[in-house]
Amino acid sequence: MARQQTTPMNRFMNVNGWAFVSVSLVLIALFSIYPVIKSLWLSTQVGMGVVTHFGGFSNIVRLANDPLFLTALKNTFIFLIVQVPIMIMLALVLANALNNPNLKFRGILRTAIFLPCVTSLVAYSVLFKSMFSYNGLINSFLLAIHVISDPIPWLTDPFWAKVTIIIAITWRWTGYNMIFYLAALQNIDRSIYEAADLEGASARHKFFKITIPMLKPVILFTTITSTIGTLQLFDEVMNITVGGPANATITLSMYIYNLSFKFVPNFGYAATVSYVIVLIVALLSVLQFKVVGREK
Amino acid sequence: MRIPTKLIAKLVLCFMPAIAWAAGKEITVWAWDPNFNIAIMKEAAERYKADHPDVKFKIVDFAKADVEQKLLTNLASGVTKALPDIVLIEDYNAQKYLQSFPGSFADLTKEIDYKNFAPYKVSLMTVNKKVYGIPFDTGVTGLFYRRDILEKAGYSEDDLKDLTWDRFIEIGKAVKEKTGTYMMSLDPNDSGILRIMMHSANSWFFDDKGHPALDSNPVLAESMSTVQKLFASGIVRPSNSWADWVSTFNQGEVATVTTGVWIIGSVKSVADQSGKWGVAPIPKLNIAGATHASNLGGSSWYVMNSSKAKKEAIDFLKTVYAGDTDFYQDILVQHGAVGTYLPSQTGPAYSTKDPFFGGQAEFLSFSEWLKNVPALNFGLYTYEVGDALVAQVPGLLQGGSVEQALKNAQRQAASLVQ
Repeated sequence: MARQQTTPMNRFMNVNGWAFVSVSLVLIALFSIYPVIKSLWLSTQVGMGVVTHFGGFSNIVRLANDPLFLTALKNTFIFLIVQVPIMIMLALVLANALNNPNLKFRGILRTAIFLPCVTSLVAYSVLFKSMFSYNGLINSFLLAIHVISDPIPWLTDPFWAKVTIIIAITWRWTGYNMIFYLAALQNIDRSIYEAADLEGASARHKFFKITIPMLKPVILFTTITSTIGTLQLFDEVMNITVGGPANATITLSMYIYNLSFKFVPNFGYAATVSYVIVLIVALLSVLQFKVVGREK
Repeated sequence: MRIPTKLIAKLVLCFMPAIAWAAGKEITVWAWDPNFNIAIMKEAAERYKADHPDVKFKIVDFAKADVEQKLLTNLASGVTKALPDIVLIEDYNAQKYLQSFPGSFADLTKEIDYKNFAPYKVSLMTVNKKVYGIPFDTGVTGLFYRRDILEKAGYSEDDLKDLTWDRFIEIGKAVKEKTGTYMMSLDPNDSGILRIMMHSANSWFFDDKGHPALDSNPVLAESMSTVQKLFASGIVRPSNSWADWVSTFNQGEVATVTTGVWIIGSVKSVADQSGKWGVAPIPKLNIAGATHASNLGGSSWYVMNSSKAKKEAIDFLKTVYAGDTDFYQDILVQHGAVGTYLPSQTGPAYSTKDPFFGGQAEFLSFSEWLKNVPALNFGLYTYEVGDALVAQVPGLLQGGSVEQALKNAQRQAASLVQ
């Protein structure tokens, strides 16, 4: 009997194959494709609550003239541009240090740095809120060691509130990214470093000329996941600052929440804003692939 | 003989729902604040159960934001199964829910005699001449103050009568200087103090059509500049959340609290501050038409149209909240709840002298001030506007002009209200 299964047409017509994937296809259609299409339709609706009508592009027009949306967009990008590079660099340095075979207590240190990312987002946010409050732990400590003479208004000043959020998410996610680098570092051939040692390369040289180029695909991966994560930033701002003071820490996700649950419910406009996040994530990911790909 | 235990068990299980049904319906209630709304609802349920032993109650306690969010998501999804029978809604939000989800709340126009309730509460729950809900508590405001701290700074009860905000700041500066205690705490992210000031001068944030009118309102300009002065004077301890704000007066960090009467429960929760507190009318804005009476918050009960126990729920609210004056006396003394059911506004409970407030009959004062609270229509967008206004507070703290702040706020509010 002739074996024909491998031609594309036959594979397409194979009933068994379809039967196997049918379950997941149905689930994807139901829980992923349908909501995407439905939310696209939703984003054309205007009105409040369930009293809505078709508004065409009016939500997009509204977007362009919405100062609060622009504030949220700006804040999100400030978090992205300041926080992601700091965290990626910190994670790289930590991973490199902890990869040193001569370091004592490596296991404990690795666990300690990774541990924050198994804590619940809400739990650690509540903890940070209490630590950074006006008479909280951080201010008491800084006052006690005479670094500051007046308490820092961590949560009530627009600038310091941003700083608090950045400190919080850096604490939470650095260990998570570090683990990726640690794993990737194991795959770099030790002999490359030995050769570099023989040539008399300094530690700094080895880090920038060997480690970073070898980790490039992983750095790309963590940058993209961190970018997406930061664009969806919600739990921390919701729990630590509630977007304030004066909308200084409101993010796009938080704005979507406010449009749906705090203000007169406008699910259509909220859906429009959420599509903005989708667009930005897609654009930034393509950009990052291009930047890294070109250098190859 | 073999006893078919399994069969019996199955039969019993089959008839369980029927038995439960025959035993009476269950009324589910959603509300917030275990020391106030929940405790009061439990009390009301006990009273009703005395005459209606077959009705069961399930009173669920959520945070206020959670009640609002759960209600909203359920209403938006169109699935009514998970909704409660009775829900508590804050007055500022009432029109928003009633107009965004028409048909979701039971029309009680013909069930309740609304003449017995404070008119301002009834107007807040009226849409197209139909009235929904049972008015509950008022947020009539007062200036709670620490007698001991003010005395140390050389001020007595009489100094707090007929205060203006400017005089309040003067006293605050003296208190801060002589005792080191802040005069008050404010959350710069919370528009509550602005709402108190606006309401006290019979003004709100909207024009006749319900659109925000922020940059042309002299009362709002005066309120904003008062907030600016308060923060600039150094008498305000900034707070970052409700819990933090409550702790400032529970721990004696501030000398006064200006807010709604419902805070009494929290003030009284620190037993060793007994006798140290007093209540005075709130300071007045420096503008024509300003009064010492205002309102902050307050909420009402609503029956869901989808409720399976709708008849029972309405009867329950009608019997207790719109008929039982004893109940109102009781919750006033127990929980400091000033109801808006007019027949209950007199009675022995109002003249009780409270040792916690140094022997002052504080509720008598509150019920006096309640009569002067201007009747206002909050409209739909109080929270949108509040958000737009507090967004301008940091700019004001850095010395920005009120005029510019209100222009910015108007821009933001206008884009949110569409």
